[in-house]
Amino acid sequence: MITAGIDCGAKNVRAVILMDGRVAGKASVPAGMDAASGAEKAFDAALKEAGIARTDVSKIVSTGAGKNEPRFTNDVVTEVGADARGIHQLYPEVRTVIDVGAEEGRAIRLDARGKVVDFAINEKCAAGAGAFTEAMARALEVPLEELGALSLASTQAIPMNAQCTVFAESEVVSLVHRKTPKPDMARAIHDAIADRIASMARRVGIEEKVALIGGVSRNVGFVKSLRDELGIEIILHTDPEFVGAIGAAVVATDQ
Amino acid sequence: MLTEVLERSRGLVEDTTYRRALDWKKAGGKVVGCFPVYTPVELIHAGGMLPLGVVGGGTSVELAHADSRFQSFVCSIAKSTLELGFQGRLGLLDAILFSSICDVARNLSSVFKRNFPGVHVDYLHYPQNMSSAGVIDYMESELRRVRDNLQRVCGVEISDDRLSASILVWNRWRALIADLYALRRDEPQKISTVELYLLFRAGTLMPVEEHIPLLEASLAEFRSRTAKPRDCIRVVVEAAFCEQPPIGLIEVLEEAGCYIVDDDLLRGWRFFDTPVGEEGPPLRSLAAAYVDGSTYSSVRHDWRKKRWEGLIDRVRLSRADAVIFMPAKFCEPALFDYVLYREALEKASIPHLMVEFEEKMWTFERTRNEVETFVESMLFD
Repeated sequence: MITAGIDCGAKNVRAVILMDGRVAGKASVPAGMDAASGAEKAFDAALKEAGIARTDVSKIVSTGAGKNEPRFTNDVVTEVGADARGIHQLYPEVRTVIDVGAEEGRAIRLDARGKVVDFAINEKCAAGAGAFTEAMARALEVPLEELGALSLASTQAIPMNAQCTVFAESEVVSLVHRKTPKPDMARAIHDAIADRIASMARRVGIEEKVALIGGVSRNVGFVKSLRDELGIEIILHTDPEFVGAIGAAVVATDQ
Repeated sequence: MLTEVLERSRGLVEDTTYRRALDWKKAGGKVVGCFPVYTPVELIHAGGMLPLGVVGGGTSVELAHADSRFQSFVCSIAKSTLELGFQGRLGLLDAILFSSICDVARNLSSVFKRNFPGVHVDYLHYPQNMSSAGVIDYMESELRRVRDNLQRVCGVEISDDRLSASILVWNRWRALIADLYALRRDEPQKISTVELYLLFRAGTLMPVEEHIPLLEASLAEFRSRTAKPRDCIRVVVEAAFCEQPPIGLIEVLEEAGCYIVDDDLLRGWRFFDTPVGEEGPPLRSLAAAYVDGSTYSSVRHDWRKKRWEGLIDRVRLSRADAVIFMPAKFCEPALFDYVLYREALEKASIPHLMVEFEEKMWTFERTRNEVETFVESMLFD
């Protein structure tokens, strides 16, 4: 059976083609101002990679902040539901999922069947999501892709007190004026996000094993900070930003 | 007829100039504001005055003055109610009653007294120890004090006969509201919570004699509706007893797949589990109703029956699947009780979700996302 999952996130749209439970094609395009058009492009690119036509796909389910935008999907599933199904398909032993995307962080606790037991969503403040690292990378004049590796060279922990992105940026500016080494500032930024994400995860109750998904899990500095904060091992998928789309495709298969 | 009544109700609820009350005033009547939660409206009604629900400014009032009187961590209803006063929209009030529900309400009462000397401001000290031997005597004496003050406002003797007649009227009104709630609990596809809420709240903004026929006619129409049940979860909404959520938020809960089968919206206006006694001295009956006939509430301490037991009972009686805990931001009584409620719900294996609101909230996507996820996790096992 061939199904598709479309994850219309705040910054990117991801499409996955699932063929008999295996990912046969995937694609990611910027969401831009028109999520519907982004979804079309991502879906077509994923079909191309899979080497199939639209008519070969039995069912399409969308998820993400813009899940109601695409006109060609058959059903929708919430982001939490998609994450849960996706991770359960990939790692059935996982009981806690932490998803950190561009604008939103989520923590989800699952039971042995992959059913959502509890969840928490943090999207009111960007300080617990990827947008925060982007703003901080700009303040440090470091390419975003290098921020994670930079922080691994840190030799000291510096507490960051601000609870919001705007105030945190002015705190970073103060550190710059004090000639604080950039690796230490980068680490302070990752520690701050990890602290917020860990608090949210503790609200739902952390049960091992724990998986980290979402685009921010590509940031090695953040992953280290979160591992240090939680004091446990964290499972990382090779394509962490595609887990939601995989989950949506699994929902399509199950339906 | 029903569409017309609901449109009129929405108009009254969204109108912070209180136009129906203004008409009453223009016709020579007196108006008494009732700040949440419970106000003994019978005392006001028996004096020939209009009890008017004053529950903040909703989404339409910009805070130009009140922010400078209160700290940033104070709930919206206190600020916007004061703002209504500063903007002259409460100029129609001859009196306003506050009660001992929280520190903020107590201080709001004093701030009102200082800023609006032309309005009679009274503060009801409700009893805190319901198992004391003198509790009904105390409550009766407090009601007598307030009655005597109101007599001076209306210039009419609020006699026992007048008060007994008012008890009959308000018992009838509360019984009709209870009928609407029972209909929604038993057949939620026939009456939405937004419809129920608008109709109910309109009754706090117009003369009760005018509202009773509307309730009777609407109830008959709701009952005769034919509608198929949707695939929804049944929920109890708890903690919105004082500041009221935006109507858009209630709509979001319903759209996201919830049948709200019980709630505590405007709880003070239907505060009693049983009718107020219609025989005997009326002040005594009202006092006894508060002490022994009130529902459980975060603003009424009663150790004889724990509040969280009351909530669990309500879930069972309404055959609800879950509880949506919906406190106003910075509402101390509700937020303190969340700890107790949460523990009891988890012990009883009743799923729950916390959704905080502010009266001026206008975007609900985060809440919609959370509620949809909650519903999805319960519906699709």
